[in-house]
Amino acid sequence: MSQKIVDKVSEYLTSNIPIKLISQGAEAVVFTTNVHPYLPKDQIGDDSDVQYIIKYRPPKEYRHPDIDKSLTKHRTLSETRILAKLYQIKDIHVPKIIASDVFNGCIWLEFLGEELPNNAGFSNLKHFLWMYNKDGANAYDPIVLRTLYEVGRQVGLLHWNDYCHGDLTTSNIVLVRDIHNENSWQPHLIDFGLGSISSMVEDKGVDLYVLERAILSTHSAYAERYNKAIIEGFSSVYKNEGEAGLKKLNELLNRFEEVRLRGRKRSMIG
Amino acid sequence: MVSTILPQFPKFQVNVSLFHDVQNSEDIRLQVAELPFAFVDASVIVSQEQLFAAVYRVLTDLTYNKLRTKTIHSECLLALSPTSNIGEAFNRFGIQQGSTDLVVLQIVEVGQESTESANDIVKGTEVEFNNDNLLHTYNEQTLRKIYKLDNSFQPKTTEGFSQALVNAIQLRGL
Repeated sequence: MSQKIVDKVSEYLTSNIPIKLISQGAEAVVFTTNVHPYLPKDQIGDDSDVQYIIKYRPPKEYRHPDIDKSLTKHRTLSETRILAKLYQIKDIHVPKIIASDVFNGCIWLEFLGEELPNNAGFSNLKHFLWMYNKDGANAYDPIVLRTLYEVGRQVGLLHWNDYCHGDLTTSNIVLVRDIHNENSWQPHLIDFGLGSISSMVEDKGVDLYVLERAILSTHSAYAERYNKAIIEGFSSVYKNEGEAGLKKLNELLNRFEEVRLRGRKRSMIG
Repeated sequence: MVSTILPQFPKFQVNVSLFHDVQNSEDIRLQVAELPFAFVDASVIVSQEQLFAAVYRVLTDLTYNKLRTKTIHSECLLALSPTSNIGEAFNRFGIQQGSTDLVVLQIVEVGQESTESANDIVKGTEVEFNNDNLLHTYNEQTLRKIYKLDNSFQPKTTEGFSQALVNAIQLRGL
């Protein structure tokens, strides 16, 4: 990780905001902090281990500064906008926006998830599935299948409302434990950096395909059953919408089948 | 009075007071342009979060972009608004003729604190500016109209409601 980027973001946030790097992608770096960007300290309560996410898009040196600025602004804005829209849709779970500074490519978000027991890692879908299937015995535990069904429902709700995620991998699905029931997990979709509003079946089919491939590559021995549970959850959303829902669902699943046969990228021939 | 400094903007001090049973809102309204405060009608403030999100927006715009209005305090009213129409923002968030509950907001540069205090101007009962004290004065219906919230959006808690306003504040005019 380039020290330059850390220096840059530290300078922007000032020394009043300590940051810890947790992830780096091609486009953005993600930090955690325990400082809220604007609420007075004594109003947050005595919860000292409260955390916030800072997602920062560093300037890219290979781009012309003007173009870089406008791209960063565009992308930060689009991500914030999608999160804001999704927040208002019933039953969809996404992180809450705390602040968004599009001029510097910085978004502050609610921190979601927790460390799984026995050093199983952070509670995203990938680590969660590994935790349950590492010795084979609990791979199809009802908790696992129910969680996957819920994952499917989240994706279903997203697509039904004509939003696409664009990078639906098992690390971009964070599980949040129910406060009343420690065996119940609510999937939250994160990272809408490639998200879009789209009514195209193709985009949705690709979303489903990417998720299927992600499960297939990291949990291959159990993938068939896992993907089935996800599609069941996905379908339940559409089936709830009557005739119109069923029609769209069919169309979508057919396209999903097509995408699966040809891969994510459409052929340029013919 | 709540007095705070946003960690990212250490050069500015933010003071907020909440008054109930304000008697002289008409007097204040007439001289609002000359007073170094933002007077916000408390009926459109749900939470601290909403107000401070707007302050954060003002300070980011001031530092990295530009202000759309003449002063930092008028900018606060604009920042609360979901639209970029300045007049509309003043009408909706600013002090009204019959305002009885007021949030008085001041942003000053550290080291240049003014001697004038909100208490000298507002004739009313000062209460602590916190979520509990805002709970009884805000008007959800007005806010739904101002922020154009769909009726299908029915958050379970006040925090859930407040979050939608924070989202709108972050995105205004961008």
